[in-house]
Amino acid sequence: MFEAGCLDEFGDESPPSSRIIRIGGGGGFWGDRVDAPIKLLQEEPLDYLMFDYLSELTMSIMAKQRARNPTSGWATDLTDWLSVGGMEALHRRGVKLVTNAGGANPEACAAAVLEIAASIGWTDARLAIITGDDILPRIDDLLESGQKLAHYETGTLLQDSGRSLLSANAYLGAGPIGAALGAGADIVITGRVADPSLLVGCMLDAAGWVENANEQNLERNIPIDEWAPESVSEPLDVLAQWTVAGHLVECGAQVSGGNSSDWASIPELDKLSLPIAEVGIDGTVAITRAMHGGGRVDRRIVAEQLVYEISDPTAYITPDVVIDLSEVTLTEISTDSVEVAGARGKPRPPELKVSASLEDGWFASASLLIPGPDAIERAKACDATLRGRLDATDLLICSELIGAGITLPPGIDSDEHLVEPAELLLRWAVVSNNRDEVIRFTREVAPLVLTGPGGVSGYGARGRPRRQLRHWPTLLDRTLVESSVRCDVIGTKDVSQVREIAHQTAAARRGQHGRGIRLLGRLHDGLEYSQLTRPFARRIATRVPEVLELREGSR
Amino acid sequence: MSDVWIPLSVLAHGRSGDKGDHLNIGLIAHHLEWFELLVDAVTPARLAAWFGPMLKGDALVYRLNGIGAINCMLKHALEGGGTTSLRLDAQGKSWGQSLLRLRVPVDHRDAKSLGVPLISATADEAGQVVLA
Repeated sequence: MFEAGCLDEFGDESPPSSRIIRIGGGGGFWGDRVDAPIKLLQEEPLDYLMFDYLSELTMSIMAKQRARNPTSGWATDLTDWLSVGGMEALHRRGVKLVTNAGGANPEACAAAVLEIAASIGWTDARLAIITGDDILPRIDDLLESGQKLAHYETGTLLQDSGRSLLSANAYLGAGPIGAALGAGADIVITGRVADPSLLVGCMLDAAGWVENANEQNLERNIPIDEWAPESVSEPLDVLAQWTVAGHLVECGAQVSGGNSSDWASIPELDKLSLPIAEVGIDGTVAITRAMHGGGRVDRRIVAEQLVYEISDPTAYITPDVVIDLSEVTLTEISTDSVEVAGARGKPRPPELKVSASLEDGWFASASLLIPGPDAIERAKACDATLRGRLDATDLLICSELIGAGITLPPGIDSDEHLVEPAELLLRWAVVSNNRDEVIRFTREVAPLVLTGPGGVSGYGARGRPRRQLRHWPTLLDRTLVESSVRCDVIGTKDVSQVREIAHQTAAARRGQHGRGIRLLGRLHDGLEYSQLTRPFARRIATRVPEVLELREGSR
Repeated sequence: MSDVWIPLSVLAHGRSGDKGDHLNIGLIAHHLEWFELLVDAVTPARLAAWFGPMLKGDALVYRLNGIGAINCMLKHALEGGGTTSLRLDAQGKSWGQSLLRLRVPVDHRDAKSLGVPLISATADEAGQVVLA
């Protein structure tokens, strides 16, 4: 089970509780650097590579893409690097890949990945697809059964939003990933999974928690801390430590020198290397990095990532565990290695976060270069000219004078902070429910070069309105989601079937999208997702014991 | 107690990001011993005053004692959040850096005894009244 290179260092004689698993953080978003993970795989011994591709916005973009094209709707960056050496490196080095690149279309993503595996002659690759995060097909049923899906910041009910729903995905936890790896998957492709859970899933496998759950015939959907072998005295704290490790590497190089306050002293940002979490099966954590390139891991850099995108540090909520970060300590144990300790775990929440997106009118943006002298007055005159030419009733316009203090709070744009700028970039962003108003805006920008204040330039091609999306975070009883989560393990030879399934699934969705799922009333019918997916794969992991059976069968 | 004003960057470093419509700014004291100076300097009231009309909800400050950091939560400061805001920095990623230049008050004697560099200290918030 632990065949990876890191064990060379410790040998077989090290006691099981101190066994260290090395997990690389391949990147932080869809659009991150494509060649970095290949380099990481080629040059560093790893047990697993995790790669988080999703953000709140990404899922809704992917849902739109899937509606247009049944083979899209997932993070194509994944196959961009797998197809140019990444897959060979994974196969040769025996590193397992766990990623949420599946986005809104995990089946299509899986098919593309398997095709690459086949193309390099990896004929016995095993790939797990984890689905069930997408609750859009069930949304009417959920509403009819009394679920409110209220916005958890404003309390507004979903049915009162008055907008069409584009996507709705629950954040799944680490359990299905652990089960998939325990069943022998080399690559795990998921849809929406909580970012740090990608790493926790790896550890459930590596630390033998899945194996224990199999042996004990435990239900899949019980809290994963109950999967822990009896020898683990504080499983919630171990889970908390693993989750912190996942949180620290989920944004890729942001913990190895990227986006740092210390940017001026980071060595070789142009060759920035990716981070590696060295995670003990007993919950010890150290953050280090691939040593081949630039960057740095020190206490300051890790601290900045620890506080990134958190709210109440005493209750950092994930699907697997609620964590108290307030007493976490960071210690530099050697060059480019920081030990993380002190995370405390509390039982997981009864509800899962759901990230939905609603259509919210039409959006466009444009910008012009405004020279000095008097750049600020000139920009204001240019802005007033544009606004005067727009005969709009619903158009919301945001004008920003970039270079005149848009990154400072209003009112703190004077004195020492603002000198007369030599020039400014005047940027507009607009949104309207009326697409024609947005088109009118895009047509009025370039003419300002000839018909506005003097010296204005820098216009580009006329922008095209795009759909504006509104993020809708809500909570849902986890049992309503987890009962539908599934994990399908497929092999290289199944690729054509997977491709077909992906097409059918997307086509069924497209029908729904075309009609617009208004939230009042029941509008969709026809093929159920589960009917579509049933025929093609060995179905596993509805319960952990089945995982065990499959694994035995596959030996 | 007599205060002097120093750029926040002298006390702390940080990173910011979005939590839905809320802006999160994590600030870490350069040294654990400076943590209480940071806590005293960046209060919810000061955050609310800084952000003014941009802040549509409360300003909250949480402590992370283990690393000597505070997490500033600025509720409803992102005009609807990353997907909705029309701002160029819709996710608030620039705020963590730009706020470090704002001036905060520290007790002169405490700061001195804790080794806080006071070269850029001034007697006023605007940084115009240079200390003698």
